[in-house]
Amino acid sequence: MMPAGEERTAPAPCADDTLPISLSKVGKSFPGPNGARLEVLRDIDLAVKEHSIVGLLGASGAGKSTLLNIIAGIVKPDRGRVCICGARSDELNDWCAASYMFQDDRLLPWRTAVRNVEFALEASATPKAERVRRAREAFRLVGLDTFEDAFPYQLSGGMRSRVALARSLVTEPKILLMDEPFSRLDAQTRSHLHGELLRIHSLMAMTVVFVTHDVEEAVLLADEVVVMSPRPGTIREIVPIAPSRPRDPIEPEVAAYIRRLRALI
Amino acid sequence: MAEMIEQGALALPQRRGIRFGVLLERLSLVAGLVTIWWLLSFSAPPYVLPGPQRVWSALSIIAAHGDLWRNLGITFWRVALGFVLATIIGLPFGIVLGANRRLGEFFEPVLPVLNTVSSAIWAIFAIIWFGISNATTIFVVFMTAMPLIITNVWQGTRAVNADFIELARVLRMPDWKIMAKIYLPTILPYFFSGARLAFGFGWRVSLVAETIGSSSGVGYRLRQAADLVRTDQVFAWTLTMVVLMAALEMGVLSPLERHLFRWKKEAEA
Ligand SMILES: Nc1ncnc2c1ncn2[C@@H]1O[C@H](COP(=O)(O)OP(=O)(O)OP(=O)(O)O)[C@@H](O)[C@H]1O
Ligand SMILES: [Mg+2]
Repeated sequence: MMPAGEERTAPAPCADDTLPISLSKVGKSFPGPNGARLEVLRDIDLAVKEHSIVGLLGASGAGKSTLLNIIAGIVKPDRGRVCICGARSDELNDWCAASYMFQDDRLLPWRTAVRNVEFALEASATPKAERVRRAREAFRLVGLDTFEDAFPYQLSGGMRSRVALARSLVTEPKILLMDEPFSRLDAQTRSHLHGELLRIHSLMAMTVVFVTHDVEEAVLLADEVVVMSPRPGTIREIVPIAPSRPRDPIEPEVAAYIRRLRALI
Repeated sequence: MAEMIEQGALALPQRRGIRFGVLLERLSLVAGLVTIWWLLSFSAPPYVLPGPQRVWSALSIIAAHGDLWRNLGITFWRVALGFVLATIIGLPFGIVLGANRRLGEFFEPVLPVLNTVSSAIWAIFAIIWFGISNATTIFVVFMTAMPLIITNVWQGTRAVNADFIELARVLRMPDWKIMAKIYLPTILPYFFSGARLAFGFGWRVSLVAETIGSSSGVGYRLRQAADLVRTDQVFAWTLTMVVLMAALEMGVLSPLERHLFRWKKEAEA
């Protein structure tokens, strides 16, 4: 533990840090249910290289969502430094826009599916016609084009998460944060969307951080898999995945990674 | 594709077919009530319970003189003005009280008190302050409608989902857009039900106010007819009001509500 005086020092400037996402010594506690402090993250050091895909793997309650929230700038860390494209996370610059697909879909119930996708473009002054065009495009991407005008309550769980995915892709973000993006999908749709994600990733060259419980998914998609251990959440190990994509879980090399990670978590 | 068929079903809720049946039911209900009224009217003198024909001819006379529409018009615009003023004051107040915890806690006790003050008391104050004038009725409608609108809008601001605000913040939406795109749609159903309640109450209390504090309007005419023991005219005015309210409710408010809130999931019976 650091001495008490050092804990609250102002974060060092990020100017020398050009990585899209860079965390050092990040810690976070929440007030727990019984009044005691609940330490959720401790000493998180994470450097995400440009255009790479990072998978966060860990048990439920390990602090994965909290970590994404910190990167997205929604949750303030108690200590440590968070830099996004060379800026502190609370002063994000527009050219390094991040997009966040939350663990819950957060569709606005009063908007149709396609209007929910448009919502992501409404923060900026994108003209209506272009918003509609891009929203429909994103819709086709996730394979939902026949449900554009349905309200969220008329969609299944898997459809809803695909709308949320379309909403996070429609802004063509430089950084894409995804919290269990495919966990509610059937195996077939999931592997289709894995392919789509990899295609979009190489097309738009964005940086991706995603959370998953599925070891195979992590190994198939990620350049690096970050394994977290719970209470307090710390990084147990960072495993680079060497084989080139697309990967097949039957290949012995890939299968070896899957076995190794299964043993780790 | 199965998805396409489902889509077709989604786009057209099955309301059309049911509606015609409902209309028939309503019509037979009205016919039944009128028949009972007609039969009952034989058992009492006309100044106690005038029959349908008598009331109809009283109504024709009032309508022929232009009396009907003039007084309905006067009452309507008084109610509308009081209601609009209540909305202009109540909507922003409700939002501010909801958005600011301290202000909200400070004013919390005021609303239940306002809500329990009888409209008759407001009417008496109005006469003391404004005398026999339009302002009396408008004031009573305003004082009745305003607390209802504030209460409902306030409740609406509490229902705003913090997760949606977070979503908008990550997208770096400016505050005024968050207001327009998250707060307003959340508050709208609450505002709507408050406004509806307030408008209905407004109509009712406007009559009370007009009977004591006005020299025109439906309420004034009602009292005049009662003073002259013209029960047929009392019935005629009452009937007109009831029909008007029902038409407004079924013709405007209900369809508007159904359209505005079509995104709400309806619980299956
Ligand atoms: N806003 C909050 N207030 C208090 N406690 C919180 C808050 N957010 C998260 N926690 C706590 O922090 C811990 C980690 O939560 P987090 O959501 O980050 O876990 P997770 O790794 O995403 O789990 P899962 O895989 O189940 O989604 C949990 O014990 C949770 O109770
Ligand atoms: Mg989580």
